[in-house]
Amino acid sequence: MDTSSFQFVLFGLAAALVSNFSRSRVWRSAVLLASSLVFLGLLAHNPLVFIPLAGFLLLGYGGLLLLERGRSKSEVWSILTVLFAYIWLKKYTFLPESIFLHSPYFTLGLSYIFFRVLHLLIEAGDRSEKRHIGPGAYLLYTLNFTTLLSGPIQRYDEFARDQFAQEPIPLGPRVMGLQLERIVRGFFKVNVLAMLFDMARADALTQISQPLPLSLKLYAAFRLALVYPLFLYANFSGYIDIVIALARLMRVRLPENFARPFSASSVLEFWNRWHITLSTWLKTYVYNPLLVALMRRIQPAALQPFLGVFCFFVTFFLVGVWHGRTSEFIIFGVMTGGGMSVNKLWQLGLVRGLGRKGYRGLSDQPAYVAFGRGLNFIWFAFTLFWFWASWMQIDTIFAALSVSQWLGVWLAAWLSATLLLALWEWLRVVLLSIKTAEGPVLTSRYARVVYASALGLIAFVLTVLLNQPAPGIVYKAF
Amino acid sequence: MIPSRAVNAAEEKEAMLPRRDWILLPAIGLLTIGLLAGSTEFLARRMFYESKTGVASCMVLNDPTTGARGIANAVCRGKAPESEWTEYRFNHCGHRAGMECAPKQPGVYRIVMIGSSVAMGEYVQREKTFAALLPSELARLTGRKVELYNEGMGWGFSHSTTLRFKDALQAQPDLILWVLTHEDVARAPVVLPTADLDPNAGVSFSAKAWLRAHDIFAGKSIMDGVAGVFGHTRTALLLRHFLYRSQSQYVKSYLLGSNAGFLRTELDAGWKARLKEFDGDATEIEGRSKMAGVPFAAVFVPIHSQAAMVSAGAWPPGYDPYTLDNAMRAIIVSHGGTYLDILPDFRSIPDPGRYYMPVDGHPNAQGHAVYTVLIAKELASGAIPALRAAVQPQGAPERAK
Repeated sequence: MDTSSFQFVLFGLAAALVSNFSRSRVWRSAVLLASSLVFLGLLAHNPLVFIPLAGFLLLGYGGLLLLERGRSKSEVWSILTVLFAYIWLKKYTFLPESIFLHSPYFTLGLSYIFFRVLHLLIEAGDRSEKRHIGPGAYLLYTLNFTTLLSGPIQRYDEFARDQFAQEPIPLGPRVMGLQLERIVRGFFKVNVLAMLFDMARADALTQISQPLPLSLKLYAAFRLALVYPLFLYANFSGYIDIVIALARLMRVRLPENFARPFSASSVLEFWNRWHITLSTWLKTYVYNPLLVALMRRIQPAALQPFLGVFCFFVTFFLVGVWHGRTSEFIIFGVMTGGGMSVNKLWQLGLVRGLGRKGYRGLSDQPAYVAFGRGLNFIWFAFTLFWFWASWMQIDTIFAALSVSQWLGVWLAAWLSATLLLALWEWLRVVLLSIKTAEGPVLTSRYARVVYASALGLIAFVLTVLLNQPAPGIVYKAF
Repeated sequence: MIPSRAVNAAEEKEAMLPRRDWILLPAIGLLTIGLLAGSTEFLARRMFYESKTGVASCMVLNDPTTGARGIANAVCRGKAPESEWTEYRFNHCGHRAGMECAPKQPGVYRIVMIGSSVAMGEYVQREKTFAALLPSELARLTGRKVELYNEGMGWGFSHSTTLRFKDALQAQPDLILWVLTHEDVARAPVVLPTADLDPNAGVSFSAKAWLRAHDIFAGKSIMDGVAGVFGHTRTALLLRHFLYRSQSQYVKSYLLGSNAGFLRTELDAGWKARLKEFDGDATEIEGRSKMAGVPFAAVFVPIHSQAAMVSAGAWPPGYDPYTLDNAMRAIIVSHGGTYLDILPDFRSIPDPGRYYMPVDGHPNAQGHAVYTVLIAKELASGAIPALRAAVQPQGAPERAK
């Protein structure tokens, strides 16, 4: 089952419907567990391929039990073991090939299960008052089909609060309508917008290495530079929209993962708006502990601001490396971490040069914000080349134009991104300013019905069309 | 026990919807869908107008002794959704040749071209077809006076071509040029188009609606059924027309279909059987040419998906755009003919999609211009001694733009 398909949405809606047959938490948990197991079964038909995943879950649960029983010394070992098992199962290329399992096995969603298991282990080790998480709750939390494959990464407490509540959170017609509208919006993003952006990327990639006139090559490079972040946003946030809405229909609130990320005017702000649950997780469990530890060891006050810079680098280097197992992702990590650090240094430099007030004044300047927004966008786009392309493709792409031509392309991309994002922000403000007594017209339920109907129709039609083969030479003229 | 979390502001407004909204909201939804669907279909019908008549009005489609053929001295006009208005004028021999079927003039090198709709230049004004452009291009390259008599015919696949081949020999050719597409293999035995006609053609609107509704529920899946019905709308054509301008999307969509078997690395049993039938027809055509002492050449012109794959230089594992090209070359050469291979030239042609009608698949006028350059280059390369160019031509398809 494709995770953003009609089938997935229908499956989720069916699970939500059955889940609402009773308000009992036992019933809702049973339905969620059954749905999650069925979902796994739909993703892979041979039960044997789940054995490594089951082993990973068992390993995590074993560690959790030890910590719950007060063996706090086992925390580090449990975490290291889970970390190694994850790297081994994901076949990170820096490990020798010979140690990997060579029969096929299921790893979809393992990255997110890994975060959930680590979160449980760290929390269990750190808690002064111990709590017990039963195997059923553990499985529900780690295998929840709404968050299994691409997050969002939910904290256990938040999950348990909704899932095991005696009185489930309310679900009336208004909320249901909002969730259905969100599913349609997500479906449209994934199946229409993302598809169109990916199409543009694939065509530009082909054209950049073809014998085209320079102007067309530059245009292909320009599209290649700009289009992938848009694809990724539409694809990922669309999927997140669908699962958040499905979970809400099952009376569980998942955390938001995106907050209009391309409105961010700096790299630092961007990572507060993009894949929020991942960066929050890493800030909680990597950045903060690392910063505290370094501040304890490195005393000079003059150095302390730079410790934050270093911690940002480490944290967001890990963000990059976590995304994939090949050397491209190391570069992606270096760039992501490097971007954060340089941005932090820039911020520190400006504060030192202009003073806090001066810096704040500059940050409020519309032009500064607009150019910062554009710069953040193209920096993200640039780093993403090491996210989506192989070394061979990267080589082909960058060899297609000279250094000065590429600089020109990125400059044009920066200016275009600045202009278009500023225009978008302005349009958004203008549209939302059209209000009635109940609030902005655009977010009224009537407007939502209009655009959900339109987006739904377009998404349905395009999905149907693109799942059909293109005709060959058509002979119907006769 | 874990207490329920305080609900957020939006959810606190969990008051029942006003009663009117239970009617109003679905009505707004339906109205939106109706208006959007209706206006798009209206727009699509305006943008992609299709005439009721076309080249079929000038053709005899039910004579099994000749296959589909043109009516002598017939003239008709037609427009496919993606094409311009096109005139089809047949001479007194029933050919869209742009000249009468008369004996050739002394000193003129006459090429008689056979093939199906691509050779005939369907949906393209005759003067823009490669049949019309090749003589001057060849004359430029070779310095010879060349004329091309076009006997290409819609639905003139390989077996049908054998039925009318005597006409080609009677036209006093110095060279017979067979223009092949993958359809010549796929539909090798087809003589009359009736088998491929819309089974619902001529049926009343209500009966057609019923049949299509039946298709939805009798089909393999509801999605397939919906797609089958929706595929008949002009909206589908409009969307496909724009989506298929993307080469990556077109190739992806094309490879989903069962027609794409000829692009696989290994042809399946069905394609092998059809190749065998094609081989039988090629044996006959080439044998009769040889007996008549007329040199014979064949050129395989790629369809959109093939050209796009070759141009991109990359295709999914298990596929190879050259598979059928190689198989056809082997057949043509094995019977003593000359095979003009223009497919590799598409490696240096970026974005070949602009040379085809995106949905229909036939080459457009620009495509015919590209074919002209490539075929002329091959003919003048020395493969046909009588047409050897004084100076070897350089492949310059961009000139055709």
